[in-house]
Amino acid sequence: MMQTEINIGEILMHHTADAYMIDFGFHIGDTPVRLEWHSWPWAEFSLFGMHFNLTPTKHVVFMLVAATLLFLCMWLTGRILERQRAGEKAPKGFANAMEAFVLWVRNDIVIANIGEHDGPRFAPYIMTLFFFILISNILGLLPWGATATGNLGVTAALAVMALFTIELSGMFKLGFKGYMRTIFPSLPGMGGVGGLVMSAAMGPIEILGKLVKPFALCFRLFGNMTAGHFVILTLFGLIFMFGNLAGWRWAIGAASATLVLGVMCLEIIVAFVQAYVFAIITAVLIGMMMHEH
Amino acid sequence: MYSLALFLQESHGEEGAVGGPFTLEPGLIIWTWIVFLVLFFMLKKYAWPHIVRLTEERERTIQKQLAEAERLNEEAKASLEEHGRLLAEAKDKAHELVMEAKTVGEKEREQLLTKAREEQEEILNRAKREIAGEKDRAIAELRREAVDLSLAAASKLIQQKLDDAGDRKIVEDYLATLEDKS
Repeated sequence: MMQTEINIGEILMHHTADAYMIDFGFHIGDTPVRLEWHSWPWAEFSLFGMHFNLTPTKHVVFMLVAATLLFLCMWLTGRILERQRAGEKAPKGFANAMEAFVLWVRNDIVIANIGEHDGPRFAPYIMTLFFFILISNILGLLPWGATATGNLGVTAALAVMALFTIELSGMFKLGFKGYMRTIFPSLPGMGGVGGLVMSAAMGPIEILGKLVKPFALCFRLFGNMTAGHFVILTLFGLIFMFGNLAGWRWAIGAASATLVLGVMCLEIIVAFVQAYVFAIITAVLIGMMMHEH
Repeated sequence: MYSLALFLQESHGEEGAVGGPFTLEPGLIIWTWIVFLVLFFMLKKYAWPHIVRLTEERERTIQKQLAEAERLNEEAKASLEEHGRLLAEAKDKAHELVMEAKTVGEKEREQLLTKAREEQEEILNRAKREIAGEKDRAIAELRREAVDLSLAAASKLIQQKLDDAGDRKIVEDYLATLEDKS
């Protein structure tokens, strides 16, 4: 029974923060079992007045794990599918389930929002995005796991990539002139100097609109993934805060565990929903660019 | 108490900590890009094509079949139109032919009738003319015969004019001979 004061805020921040350490969360004797390393001096450098440190952190490790898992899973799926097709056997099992899942993403998220013609070109990107976010989210729910998508840097990087994909796809599809139309829109019913002035005035608003969308993507994913961990840890924290109430400790423990179980189930749904939301909003924004006139 | 404000405090004291979840670490951003892009290209090359191949092929086939069906439909429509046009043309032609035949027949009948009437008229006229000619000839013959007879009678009379009674007898004899002759 732990009776020492525990700073739950400290634990929360520690848990969700990035680190040069992977904590396996248990002790052998008095030493905590953890994988710990230090910043590599040679990986640190300064560029454009910014300080970069390319030493892999906990979240980098978990991204690599997610990427490896995803690649192996999809690669195997592809191999098994091709073998099944070569043997002209009826599709079955894990590979078939993954195929259905991938095709659902491709058809219902990508092609449904971007269109029959341009959809297949963007499908690999959005499919990778969806499954990478999904696996990262789920890894955070596993014991000793960490949620890379619960880090603002990671979601910001993904959002910036989405921003570039959206804007560059628009530039290639619409041409430079057509793309500038999306910033300085032609206003129907307003000709001459008035129209030009209004068009120019719309410029900053449109640019802001373009930036706000990926900003929202970034914070939505980060917020959702972090919030779940905060809630779960806070509920567990109740045990440590009120566990010294004689006679009630079992009730506190049971209530906490029950609530955490509920939130965990919710988190599994959230993991899927947030991957879906990130993917579908990216697809919708690309689709809007493709059909801009 | 442990309020939300505590969450926002960064825990730098911890060994190995890089920063709170709210810090934007440029290194992590670059790592995210590297991991994602490598994953993207690997999946794009080794995984997605095998998984979506059949679907894409099916989509292409369906697209092709749709285009083919569209084309065939167009063709069928065009040929149906052509047939309709030809049928109408043929009907018109047939009608025209029948009308023409009718007109020709009518004309032919008219012509035949006219011709028949003319021939009949001609035959009648010829017959009339022949009859008239025969009559004239007969009358002339008769007259000549009568003159001959009269002349013969007169010559007989002149030969034996002395005796009236004798004359009379001569004529009667002569007439008797005629009667014998005829």
